[in-house]
Amino acid sequence: MNILRMVLYLVTAVITFVYVWMTWLFAPPEATLGELIRILFQHTSPALVAYLAFGTTLVGSVLYIWKQDLKFDVIGAASIKIGLLFTKITLISGMIWANAYWGVAWNWDPRETTTLVLWIAYACILGYRASVNDRDVRAQFGSIFGIISFPAVFLSYISIHIWNTLHPIVITPGGLNMGVEHGMTLMMSLIAIGLVYAVLLDLTYRIDSASERLMEIRMSRS
Amino acid sequence: MSSGARAAAAIARKDIVSQARKRFEVFSMFLFALISVLAFSFAVAGQVEADTASALVWVIIFLTGMFGFAPVFISEAETGTLRGLSVAPVPSWSVYIGKVVYGFVIMGIVEVFLIPICMAMLNFSFTADPTFVLFTFAIGTLDLAAVGAMASALTMPAESKSTVYPLVYFPTATSALILLVEITRILVSGPGLIPVALLLQFLVAHLLAMTSLSGAVFHFTLTG
Repeated sequence: MNILRMVLYLVTAVITFVYVWMTWLFAPPEATLGELIRILFQHTSPALVAYLAFGTTLVGSVLYIWKQDLKFDVIGAASIKIGLLFTKITLISGMIWANAYWGVAWNWDPRETTTLVLWIAYACILGYRASVNDRDVRAQFGSIFGIISFPAVFLSYISIHIWNTLHPIVITPGGLNMGVEHGMTLMMSLIAIGLVYAVLLDLTYRIDSASERLMEIRMSRS
Repeated sequence: MSSGARAAAAIARKDIVSQARKRFEVFSMFLFALISVLAFSFAVAGQVEADTASALVWVIIFLTGMFGFAPVFISEAETGTLRGLSVAPVPSWSVYIGKVVYGFVIMGIVEVFLIPICMAMLNFSFTADPTFVLFTFAIGTLDLAAVGAMASALTMPAESKSTVYPLVYFPTATSALILLVEITRILVSGPGLIPVALLLQFLVAHLLAMTSLSGAVFHFTLTG
């Protein structure tokens, strides 16, 4: 294991520990939401990191089309898997919040709906990629699919601005629309989950690259 | 008119003439749409609000597009004529735009017959603001055709194309569907044009984004 990777893992472990401590001990109960505010830190940050993951897929896809280097396709596909994981966490934590605060787990709120569409959309890309056998064609067409799916991410992000929604607008151009301690905890959760994403992307990339090499060896022997 | 636009018009004309000789694809799409209307009518037992019924029209058009747009490129690949398109001395984007125009025309023909039937059977009316409704249907159909043509191109190398096509069409078309359903609902029942204007801007932006993104990368589907 090289030194840079070791530092990344160590920093992620420390920051994640601080994030857990701030979420459950440092952040005080909110005036109207009470203890439910703690769910927010497990909900907002995974959502933003999921957007980052699908943005990474877009960048990886563009780079593959431009450079024709398979490593960018592997990064793009790996980022989809992790983006789906964080979208799932967002949906589940959102449902827990909605059930506790509004009494109904699923409200067909525009942000909920567009986030579910986002999850299905990127799951469809994985399903599509599995249906193409030729490795180079899969990379080429999968990258194109990764590019043209990105407007769904944009729609999910702006949905709270164009529809009447139950979701409060927490992040505004003027800063965070919450108390100082809660803002600090949210920022820490964003950094921690961003780092967890980086670690997961690194691990998934290495596993998928190894799997690619194994497949190449099998193909050359058959 | 530039050479690319002339090529796109020629490709669209070729497909429309070819379709006019066969006719069965448009007819099948129309029948499928009609079956969908009936299925929805059974589900709601005729008791459905006007705004919901109008939104159902887009769901029916969306589903009809799922198999109506699929053959746009797949049939070229199956009949071996795709090679001709890929080596033709025209810009790649003009092939894509020609197919989008063809998809728009065949879906437009289906809609001309489908919408009055839906209005009669589901008991609602688009007559409150016909100009806006016409504009919405034109932009919406063009958007779905743009997405459907690209989805067809992406499905060419896949195994089990009929299964895979919805996987490609759904994610790229759903954003437009959500906007179209909302716009149509407001136009039928709504408080006026102000809330529609913002959604229409996003719909036009989606159309421009899908067309420009797809046009920019389409070359790679022909060379893949």
